[in-house]
Amino acid sequence: MTDDLLSVRDLSVDFRLPAGQMRAVDRISFAIEPGEVLGIVGESGSGKSQILFSLMGLVAANGVASGEAMFGGQNLLALGPKALDAVRGVSVSMIFQDPMTSLNPYMRVGDQLAETLIVHKGMTKTDAWKAAVAMLDRVRIPDAAARARRYPHEFSGGMRQRVMIAMALLVRPALLLADEPTTALDVTIQAQVLDLMAELAQETGTAIILVTHDLGVVARLCDRVIVLYGGRIMEVAPAEVLFTNPQHPYSRGLLASTPRMTDALTPRLGTIPGSPRSGGAMLPGCPFAPRCTVKIGICDSVQPALVPAGGGMAACHLVGGRE
Amino acid sequence: MLRFTLKRLIDGAITLAALVTLTFFVMRLAPGGPFSKSRKVSAEVLAIIEKKYHLDEPIPQQFARYVWGLLHLDFGPSTRFRDYDVGALLASGLPYSLTIGFWAVVVATLIGVSLGIAGALRRNSATDYLAGIVGVVGIAIPIFVIGPLFQVIFALKLGWLPVGGWNDGLRSLILPVLVLSLPNIAYISRITRTSMIEVMRENYVRTARAKGLGAARTIRSHALKGALLPVIAYLGPATAAIITGSVLIETIFAVPGIGRHFVDAALNRDYPLVMGVTVVYGGLLIVFNIGTDLMRGYLDPRVRNGG
Amino acid sequence: MADRSLSTLQLQFRRFRANRLAMFSIFLLAAIVLACFLGPFAFPFTGEDADFDYIAAPVDLLSPHPFGTDDFGRDLLVRVLEGGQISLTIGFLGAATAGIIGVLYGAVAGYAGGRADRLMMRSVEILYGFPYVILVILLSLVLGGGTTALFAAIVFTLWLTPAVIVRAQAQSLAKREFIEAARAGGMTAPQIVIEHIVPNCMSVVIVYGSLLVPEVILSESFLSFLGIGIKEPQASWGNLIQSGTTAMDSDLRLLLLPGILLAAVLFCLNFIADGLRDAFDPNDR
Repeated sequence: MTDDLLSVRDLSVDFRLPAGQMRAVDRISFAIEPGEVLGIVGESGSGKSQILFSLMGLVAANGVASGEAMFGGQNLLALGPKALDAVRGVSVSMIFQDPMTSLNPYMRVGDQLAETLIVHKGMTKTDAWKAAVAMLDRVRIPDAAARARRYPHEFSGGMRQRVMIAMALLVRPALLLADEPTTALDVTIQAQVLDLMAELAQETGTAIILVTHDLGVVARLCDRVIVLYGGRIMEVAPAEVLFTNPQHPYSRGLLASTPRMTDALTPRLGTIPGSPRSGGAMLPGCPFAPRCTVKIGICDSVQPALVPAGGGMAACHLVGGRE
Repeated sequence: MLRFTLKRLIDGAITLAALVTLTFFVMRLAPGGPFSKSRKVSAEVLAIIEKKYHLDEPIPQQFARYVWGLLHLDFGPSTRFRDYDVGALLASGLPYSLTIGFWAVVVATLIGVSLGIAGALRRNSATDYLAGIVGVVGIAIPIFVIGPLFQVIFALKLGWLPVGGWNDGLRSLILPVLVLSLPNIAYISRITRTSMIEVMRENYVRTARAKGLGAARTIRSHALKGALLPVIAYLGPATAAIITGSVLIETIFAVPGIGRHFVDAALNRDYPLVMGVTVVYGGLLIVFNIGTDLMRGYLDPRVRNGG
Repeated sequence: MADRSLSTLQLQFRRFRANRLAMFSIFLLAAIVLACFLGPFAFPFTGEDADFDYIAAPVDLLSPHPFGTDDFGRDLLVRVLEGGQISLTIGFLGAATAGIIGVLYGAVAGYAGGRADRLMMRSVEILYGFPYVILVILLSLVLGGGTTALFAAIVFTLWLTPAVIVRAQAQSLAKREFIEAARAGGMTAPQIVIEHIVPNCMSVVIVYGSLLVPEVILSESFLSFLGIGIKEPQASWGNLIQSGTTAMDSDLRLLLLPGILLAAVLFCLNFIADGLRDAFDPNDR
């Protein structure tokens, strides 16, 4: 699709560990349109955060990202540091999981916001500061002008994440990458922060890629969802489709293990047997095969391709009309 | 910030008071009064001498007299240099010691920090190994071995610099300052390197990179402050080390500073002079520690609020 | 599950053994120690015997004095080795003593907390206010100025650092549940300190304490160099280096032999301490 904002093809991330090579992300392909909110769901170790890091050139020193990520006519994965700096913080912004450690404790909050405007938009300090304060106000930080002169440790967790959102959206980027933005927050604050993100993104027309392990977050915000397991895409579908009619056994398992208000009170929650993959080389077949309750013979040896199934796409030998 | 400063000043004053008291009583307890080494004197002469130096008074009174003198910057007479006041001796030697000490701190910090940052940013490169070597040499080879060696190499064999003394102006300074700063260059470069590596791994540096600020600005505005805090914290002990080292340096390079006076005084049991130097050095250290504490408070807002 | 489970101590020792620099240092140090304590027996004379046939003799590996003699006809090599005995003995003994005192002091202060802790740490702070050399020399004078005085003075200044470190460790330990359990079980405070607090501080103590040995050796050496420590005619590396400096324009070996040995010992001790730190606290690199 030519009007895609970001088009990722065969993205892989490999790490060089003392124990050998480890592939965290295996030939992922997806695209996102302007203004869309795409969720990437997976357990820990599924490689979801690494996808975001590779787009931003933040993969650790012992890791290599390969493949293609076309954004604005450029392959983000092939850009040198200078070229990348012209994209990061301007057209693509990122917010991280832990707002406490992600903000510079020695710098005033206002300065941290104004920085991006000064460096990328050439604004003067006064103008940048004004814009920063206005943005802090917009994310509902009370008494924004005074608060901007304070340091991060003087803010609460929820407020800090709002500061990060303000910082990321201040430059009105075309794309926002959010790595588990609410995981470190109290449940009561999570909803507020998510709604704020959605609201602001709509205003600025920013697309969001939201990485999370929390299905509730996905349900609240996302237009489309990618389900990731063991570094590979298991299913891609519009959010309502995924929640009402999941195709992949893994997706079904995830949804079954999520308690819902409308469920009857059952004695036990559903679980997915086994534990997530940890390190090592990729298995030849479907990565979920070791834990799949409905697998068949070829699941262990042949990797299933992503095929259309029930409103979206799924990578499973048992779906897509191939029962 | 004001309360923080006040608290530090009061702490410093208490420490100084304790220092003076301790020194005084330690001296009074020391065996071998100032005169036991000289020729035998008759009882009457002894009594007169004791009276002159107030040694016949009860100790608390001697102490009070001493403190009173200190407040007027009067350290009492030297027992060895009969015609001289300890205060005068200190005043003559202090400028030399302060000059060398000051420059040693400056050189050690500048070179140490540069080496440390360079090593951290270009790990396992030639610069890093060079820094590593300087580090090991500075820590392991004692000043009193390097000092004479450098004298042999640079002064005696190559003739580039004077062997010692103070007659050559700036050139007399080079060897003493260099040798004195070596151990601290080693420690500071190590601390800086470790600290810099740690800071570069911090999440907030990752955020700065994600904001596309560029390597230079990321390091300058974000990494440097956090990385340098441990170095500033080390400056206090560094000064103490430099004071210790300067005693050796002044002996080796024949610099007429108070460190040399101290050693001589100790060897000759000139207690007032020993005490004078102790108080001066101790006071300097306290002042410097307060200074570095205040600097840390200024740079790290978290320290400030925690007191 | 791991196929072999090693105790933490075993893992730490393995890490240490893998550090070739540290292992080399241990061997070199051992060699020097052996040379110092056993070497002199290989010679028919001591470091204080004056040999009037060989006054100020230069290095001649084939003569009875392979490294020459000094102005008094005393064999340089034997003097240096004997000096090594003194420096090394004071070094290890002093470090051990300072370490024990410091650990106990720190453990008690950290565990006791409150007023006792504040008082104890106040005293430490004040002592820290003395520049090191001043304190050592002062103490050495007060205690009479002999070798024992020197030893006591050095120990008394160096126990401060282990005390501060152990106290910090003890403080955080004192809050842990297993200490509460011990108290609930009826252990007395001294018992808790000795049986629980101190052993759990050991890794910190080993890492930072290993630096004590070179510090003590260095202190003794520079005090002897200044003339305040070990005095002639007894040899110590410090005073040997000092006599070496007076002759350095004509004859370097008087300075170099003790100087190189001292530097070598300090190198080894520092690398061993580094190795211990890497092995016990891998976060440091």
